Amino acid sequence: MIAEADKSYVLFPLGEKRFALRAETVTELARPDSVQTFPHRTPLLTGVLVRRGRIVPVCDVAQVLVGPAAPPRKFYLIANCKIGARQELTAVPVTGECELASAASVPLTGSEPAYVSGMLSFGNEIVAVVALEKLICAEATA
Amino acid sequence: MKPLKHLRSQPPQPAREDVIVFAVGGYKLAIAAGAVKEIRGMDDLHPFKLGGISAQIAKLKYTLERNGATYFVIDAAQHFRLPASKASRVMVLRNIPTGVLVDSTDRIMEISALHALPPAFTHEERGWYRGLAVVNGLVVPVVNHNAFLNGAELEIVRAGLERVRVVVTA
Repeated sequence: MIAEADKSYVLFPLGEKRFALRAETVTELARPDSVQTFPHRTPLLTGVLVRRGRIVPVCDVAQVLVGPAAPPRKFYLIANCKIGARQELTAVPVTGECELASAASVPLTGSEPAYVSGMLSFGNEIVAVVALEKLICAEATA
Repeated sequence: MKPLKHLRSQPPQPAREDVIVFAVGGYKLAIAAGAVKEIRGMDDLHPFKLGGISAQIAKLKYTLERNGATYFVIDAAQHFRLPASKASRVMVLRNIPTGVLVDSTDRIMEISALHALPPAFTHEERGWYRGLAVVNGLVVPVVNHNAFLNGAELEIVRAGLERVRVVVTA
Protein backbone atom coordinates (compact mmCIF):
# COMPACT_ATOMS: atom_id res chain seq x y z
CA MET A 1 0.00 0.00 0.00
CA ILE A 2 1.41 3.38 -0.97
CA ALA A 3 1.00 6.17 1.58
CA GLU A 4 -1.07 9.10 0.30
CA ALA A 5 1.85 11.50 0.60
CA ASP A 6 4.11 9.26 -1.51
CA LYS A 7 1.80 8.92 -4.48
CA SER A 8 2.88 10.23 -7.83
CA TYR A 9 0.57 11.84 -10.32
CA VAL A 10 0.73 12.87 -13.93
CA LEU A 11 -0.59 16.42 -14.21
CA PHE A 12 -2.15 17.31 -17.52
CA PRO A 13 -3.44 20.63 -18.83
CA LEU A 14 -6.84 21.20 -20.39
CA GLY A 15 -6.83 24.84 -21.36
CA GLU A 16 -6.08 26.96 -18.30
CA LYS A 17 -6.80 24.23 -15.78
CA ARG A 18 -4.76 21.21 -14.80
CA PHE A 19 -5.99 17.80 -13.74
CA ALA A 20 -4.20 14.70 -12.52
CA LEU A 21 -4.18 10.98 -13.12
CA ARG A 22 -2.46 8.56 -10.76
CA ALA A 23 0.96 7.95 -12.27
CA GLU A 24 0.76 4.17 -12.03
CA THR A 25 -2.15 4.18 -14.45
CA VAL A 26 -0.34 6.21 -17.12
CA THR A 27 1.68 4.28 -19.69
CA GLU A 28 2.66 6.90 -22.23
CA LEU A 29 2.46 10.47 -23.38
CA ALA A 30 2.11 10.27 -27.14
CA ARG A 31 2.61 12.78 -29.89
CA PRO A 32 -0.45 13.69 -31.87
CA ASP A 33 -1.50 10.92 -34.17
CA SER A 34 -4.37 10.92 -36.50
CA VAL A 35 -7.48 9.84 -34.65
CA GLN A 36 -9.43 7.45 -36.78
CA THR A 37 -13.17 7.59 -36.56
CA PHE A 38 -16.00 5.29 -37.50
CA PRO A 39 -19.72 5.32 -36.74
CA HIS A 40 -20.51 4.73 -33.07
CA ARG A 41 -22.82 6.06 -30.35
CA THR A 42 -20.71 6.12 -27.20
CA PRO A 43 -20.44 9.63 -25.72
CA LEU A 44 -16.94 11.13 -25.20
CA LEU A 45 -15.22 8.67 -27.53
CA THR A 46 -13.89 10.49 -30.55
CA GLY A 47 -12.25 7.55 -32.30
CA VAL A 48 -9.25 5.29 -31.94
CA LEU A 49 -5.47 5.45 -32.26
CA VAL A 50 -3.28 2.61 -33.45
CA ARG A 51 -0.31 2.36 -31.06
CA ARG A 52 2.22 -0.39 -31.62
CA GLY A 53 -0.34 -2.62 -33.25
CA ARG A 54 -2.97 -2.06 -30.58
CA ILE A 55 -6.20 -0.16 -31.00
CA VAL A 56 -6.64 2.44 -28.27
CA PRO A 57 -9.94 4.31 -27.87
CA VAL A 58 -9.68 8.09 -27.57
CA CYS A 59 -11.78 9.56 -24.78
CA ASP A 60 -12.13 13.34 -24.93
CA VAL A 61 -12.62 14.06 -21.24
CA ALA A 62 -12.22 17.81 -21.85
CA GLN A 63 -15.89 17.94 -22.83
CA VAL A 64 -16.78 17.02 -19.24
CA LEU A 65 -13.89 18.60 -17.33
CA VAL A 66 -13.75 22.04 -18.97
CA GLY A 67 -16.64 22.12 -21.41
CA PRO A 68 -16.75 22.70 -25.15
CA ALA A 69 -14.42 25.72 -25.05
CA ALA A 70 -11.27 23.68 -24.43
CA PRO A 71 -8.43 24.64 -26.79
CA PRO A 72 -7.15 22.15 -29.38
CA ARG A 73 -5.64 19.02 -27.87
CA LYS A 74 -1.94 18.55 -28.66
CA PHE A 75 -0.93 15.26 -27.06
CA TYR A 76 -2.46 12.01 -25.92
CA LEU A 77 -1.99 10.72 -22.42
CA ILE A 78 -2.42 6.96 -22.60
CA ALA A 79 -3.63 5.39 -19.38
CA ASN A 80 -4.86 2.05 -18.13
CA CYS A 81 -8.51 2.17 -17.37
CA LYS A 82 -10.71 -0.53 -15.91
CA ILE A 83 -13.71 -0.95 -18.21
CA GLY A 84 -16.00 -3.62 -16.82
CA ALA A 85 -13.72 -6.43 -15.65
CA ARG A 86 -10.84 -5.60 -17.98
CA GLN A 87 -7.93 -3.21 -17.90
CA GLU A 88 -7.81 -1.35 -21.19
CA LEU A 89 -5.65 1.40 -22.55
CA THR A 90 -7.44 4.68 -23.16
CA ALA A 91 -6.02 7.79 -24.82
CA VAL A 92 -6.93 11.13 -23.25
CA PRO A 93 -6.31 14.20 -25.46
CA VAL A 94 -4.58 16.97 -23.49
CA THR A 95 -3.75 20.53 -24.48
CA GLY A 96 -0.06 20.71 -23.55
CA GLU A 97 2.94 19.10 -21.87
CA CYS A 98 2.35 16.88 -18.85
CA GLU A 99 4.28 16.75 -15.61
CA LEU A 100 5.08 13.97 -13.17
CA ALA A 101 4.64 15.23 -9.60
CA SER A 102 4.02 14.19 -6.02
CA ALA A 103 1.78 16.17 -3.79
CA ALA A 104 -0.12 16.00 -0.55
CA SER A 105 -3.81 15.46 -0.99
CA VAL A 106 -6.43 17.88 0.22
CA PRO A 107 -9.56 16.44 1.84
CA LEU A 108 -12.55 16.13 -0.46
CA THR A 109 -15.53 18.29 0.46
CA GLY A 110 -18.11 15.79 -0.73
CA SER A 111 -19.49 18.14 -3.38
CA GLU A 112 -17.08 17.01 -6.10
CA PRO A 113 -18.31 14.97 -9.03
CA ALA A 114 -18.04 11.18 -8.58
CA TYR A 115 -15.15 11.01 -11.04
CA VAL A 116 -12.94 13.17 -8.79
CA SER A 117 -11.08 10.73 -6.55
CA GLY A 118 -8.90 13.30 -4.78
CA MET A 119 -7.60 16.83 -4.69
CA LEU A 120 -3.96 17.86 -4.74
CA SER A 121 -2.46 21.09 -3.53
CA PHE A 122 0.37 22.81 -5.43
CA GLY A 123 0.79 26.16 -3.70
CA ASN A 124 -2.27 28.17 -4.67
CA GLU A 125 -3.38 25.66 -7.25
CA ILE A 126 -5.78 22.84 -6.39
CA VAL A 127 -5.77 20.02 -8.93
CA ALA A 128 -8.50 17.40 -9.17
CA VAL A 129 -7.43 13.76 -9.50
CA VAL A 130 -9.60 12.16 -12.15
CA ALA A 131 -10.81 8.57 -11.87
CA LEU A 132 -10.97 7.91 -15.58
CA GLU A 133 -13.08 4.76 -15.39
CA LYS A 134 -15.74 6.52 -13.29
CA LEU A 135 -15.87 9.44 -15.71
CA ILE A 136 -16.18 7.18 -18.75
CA CYS A 137 -18.77 4.91 -17.13
CA ALA A 138 -20.85 7.87 -15.90
CA GLU A 139 -20.93 9.39 -19.37
CA ALA A 140 -21.59 6.06 -21.07
CA THR A 141 -24.66 5.46 -18.95
CA ALA A 142 -25.84 9.10 -18.98
CA MET B 1 9.07 12.38 -25.96
CA LYS B 2 9.81 8.99 -24.42
CA PRO B 3 7.19 6.50 -23.40
CA LEU B 4 6.76 6.38 -19.63
CA LYS B 5 6.34 2.61 -19.83
CA HIS B 6 6.11 0.18 -22.68
CA LEU B 7 2.67 -0.85 -23.78
CA ARG B 8 1.94 -4.49 -23.23
CA SER B 9 1.37 -6.08 -26.59
CA GLN B 10 -1.84 -8.00 -26.88
CA PRO B 11 -1.97 -9.38 -30.39
CA PRO B 12 -5.36 -9.63 -32.05
CA GLN B 13 -6.79 -12.99 -33.00
CA PRO B 14 -5.40 -14.09 -36.36
CA ALA B 15 -8.35 -14.43 -38.69
CA ARG B 16 -7.54 -14.40 -42.38
CA GLU B 17 -10.59 -13.61 -44.42
CA ASP B 18 -11.64 -11.73 -47.51
CA VAL B 19 -13.70 -8.63 -46.95
CA ILE B 20 -15.42 -6.16 -49.23
CA VAL B 21 -14.66 -2.54 -48.41
CA PHE B 22 -17.59 -0.19 -48.84
CA ALA B 23 -18.36 3.43 -48.03
CA VAL B 24 -21.26 5.00 -46.13
CA GLY B 25 -21.48 8.67 -45.21
CA GLY B 26 -17.77 9.20 -45.79
CA TYR B 27 -16.69 6.23 -43.66
CA LYS B 28 -14.96 3.10 -44.95
CA LEU B 29 -16.35 -0.12 -43.57
CA ALA B 30 -15.88 -3.76 -44.47
CA ILE B 31 -18.11 -6.80 -44.68
CA ALA B 32 -17.12 -10.46 -44.96
CA ALA B 33 -16.99 -11.28 -48.67
CA GLY B 34 -18.71 -14.58 -47.95
CA ALA B 35 -21.71 -12.75 -46.53
CA VAL B 36 -22.42 -10.95 -49.81
CA LYS B 37 -24.27 -12.72 -52.58
CA GLU B 38 -24.38 -9.89 -55.08
CA ILE B 39 -23.58 -6.21 -55.50
CA ARG B 40 -25.92 -4.36 -57.81
CA GLY B 41 -27.23 -0.94 -58.76
CA MET B 42 -30.41 0.69 -57.55
CA ASP B 43 -32.62 -0.76 -60.29
CA ASP B 44 -35.69 -2.80 -59.42
CA LEU B 45 -35.98 -1.52 -55.87
CA HIS B 46 -39.55 -1.10 -54.66
CA PRO B 47 -40.15 1.53 -51.96
CA PHE B 48 -41.24 -0.12 -48.73
CA LYS B 49 -44.08 1.72 -47.04
CA LEU B 50 -46.15 -0.14 -44.54
CA GLY B 51 -47.41 2.15 -41.76
CA GLY B 52 -46.56 0.33 -38.55
CA ILE B 53 -43.44 -1.39 -39.83
CA SER B 54 -41.98 1.69 -41.47
CA ALA B 55 -42.44 3.57 -38.20
CA GLN B 56 -40.73 0.84 -36.18
CA ILE B 57 -37.94 0.10 -38.64
CA ALA B 58 -37.32 3.39 -40.40
CA LYS B 59 -34.06 2.15 -41.95
CA LEU B 60 -36.02 -0.38 -44.05
CA LYS B 61 -36.44 1.54 -47.30
CA TYR B 62 -37.03 -0.90 -50.16
CA THR B 63 -37.75 -4.45 -51.12
CA LEU B 64 -36.02 -6.29 -53.93
CA GLU B 65 -37.33 -9.38 -55.70
CA ARG B 66 -34.58 -11.74 -56.85
CA ASN B 67 -35.14 -15.25 -58.13
CA GLY B 68 -38.46 -15.58 -56.33
CA ALA B 69 -37.09 -14.31 -53.00
CA THR B 70 -37.88 -11.00 -51.31
CA TYR B 71 -35.00 -9.02 -49.83
CA PHE B 72 -35.57 -6.22 -47.35
CA VAL B 73 -33.22 -3.37 -48.21
CA ILE B 74 -31.76 -1.39 -45.33
CA ASP B 75 -30.32 2.12 -45.59
CA ALA B 76 -26.84 1.66 -44.08
CA ALA B 77 -26.50 5.37 -43.25
CA GLN B 78 -29.64 5.19 -41.15
CA HIS B 79 -28.53 1.89 -39.60
CA PHE B 80 -25.29 3.54 -38.44
CA ARG B 81 -27.20 6.69 -37.36
CA LEU B 82 -25.38 8.83 -39.92
CA PRO B 83 -26.81 11.77 -41.87
CA ALA B 84 -28.51 10.79 -45.12
CA SER B 85 -25.96 9.84 -47.75
CA LYS B 86 -26.01 9.21 -51.48
CA ALA B 87 -26.58 5.50 -51.86
CA SER B 88 -25.69 4.05 -55.25
CA ARG B 89 -25.20 0.32 -54.65
CA VAL B 90 -27.07 -2.51 -52.99
CA MET B 91 -25.22 -5.37 -51.34
CA VAL B 92 -27.53 -8.37 -51.39
CA LEU B 93 -26.59 -10.60 -48.46
CA ARG B 94 -26.26 -14.36 -48.56
CA ASN B 95 -28.48 -16.68 -46.49
CA ILE B 96 -30.54 -13.84 -45.02
CA PRO B 97 -33.28 -11.82 -46.74
CA THR B 98 -31.44 -8.54 -46.41
CA GLY B 99 -30.00 -6.00 -48.80
CA VAL B 100 -27.88 -3.04 -47.73
CA LEU B 101 -27.84 0.36 -49.43
CA VAL B 102 -24.33 1.80 -49.46
CA ASP B 103 -22.72 4.81 -51.14
CA SER B 104 -20.12 2.75 -53.00
CA THR B 105 -18.21 -0.49 -52.90
CA ASP B 106 -14.47 -0.32 -53.14
CA ARG B 107 -12.50 -3.56 -53.37
CA ILE B 108 -12.11 -7.04 -52.00
CA MET B 109 -9.08 -7.48 -49.79
CA GLU B 110 -7.70 -9.96 -47.33
CA ILE B 111 -7.41 -9.06 -43.67
CA SER B 112 -5.07 -11.04 -41.46
CA ALA B 113 -6.47 -10.25 -38.04
CA LEU B 114 -9.56 -8.94 -36.38
CA HIS B 115 -9.17 -6.76 -33.28
CA ALA B 116 -11.98 -6.81 -30.74
CA LEU B 117 -13.89 -3.56 -30.48
CA PRO B 118 -12.41 -1.89 -27.35
CA PRO B 119 -14.80 -2.32 -24.40
CA ALA B 120 -14.91 1.47 -23.96
CA PHE B 121 -17.36 1.38 -26.87
CA THR B 122 -20.51 0.48 -25.01
CA HIS B 123 -23.46 1.49 -27.17
CA GLU B 124 -25.16 0.19 -30.32
CA GLU B 125 -21.83 -0.18 -32.10
CA ARG B 126 -21.16 -3.35 -30.09
CA GLY B 127 -23.84 -5.01 -32.19
CA TRP B 128 -22.88 -3.30 -35.42
CA TYR B 129 -19.33 -4.65 -35.67
CA ARG B 130 -17.60 -8.00 -35.46
CA GLY B 131 -14.35 -6.19 -34.81
CA LEU B 132 -11.80 -3.81 -36.27
CA ALA B 133 -9.26 -4.57 -38.98
CA VAL B 134 -6.11 -2.52 -39.47
CA VAL B 135 -5.17 -2.14 -43.12
CA ASN B 136 -2.01 -0.17 -43.91
CA GLY B 137 -2.43 1.69 -40.63
CA LEU B 138 -6.08 2.48 -41.27
CA VAL B 139 -8.74 1.14 -38.95
CA VAL B 140 -11.67 -0.40 -40.82
CA PRO B 141 -14.63 -1.74 -38.84
CA VAL B 142 -15.85 -5.13 -40.05
CA VAL B 143 -19.62 -5.12 -39.82
CA ASN B 144 -21.84 -7.77 -38.31
CA HIS B 145 -24.01 -8.43 -41.35
CA ASN B 146 -26.72 -10.10 -39.27
CA ALA B 147 -27.30 -6.80 -37.44
CA PHE B 148 -28.59 -4.85 -40.45
CA LEU B 149 -31.94 -6.51 -39.92
CA ASN B 150 -31.80 -8.56 -36.75
CA GLY B 151 -34.04 -11.48 -35.84
CA ALA B 152 -36.55 -9.36 -33.91
CA GLU B 153 -36.81 -6.80 -36.74
CA LEU B 154 -37.21 -9.53 -39.32
CA GLU B 155 -40.00 -11.00 -37.22
CA ILE B 156 -41.78 -7.62 -37.16
CA VAL B 157 -41.49 -7.32 -40.95
CA ARG B 158 -42.70 -10.86 -41.61
CA ALA B 159 -45.62 -10.54 -39.19
CA GLY B 160 -46.62 -7.22 -40.77
CA LEU B 161 -46.49 -8.62 -44.29
CA GLU B 162 -48.49 -11.65 -43.20
CA ARG B 163 -51.21 -9.38 -41.78
CA VAL B 164 -51.34 -7.51 -45.10
CA ARG B 165 -51.52 -10.79 -47.04
CA VAL B 166 -54.43 -11.99 -44.89
CA VAL B 167 -56.33 -8.73 -45.42
CA VAL B 168 -55.71 -8.76 -49.20
CA THR B 169 -56.79 -12.39 -49.66
CA ALA B 170 -59.81 -12.12 -47.33
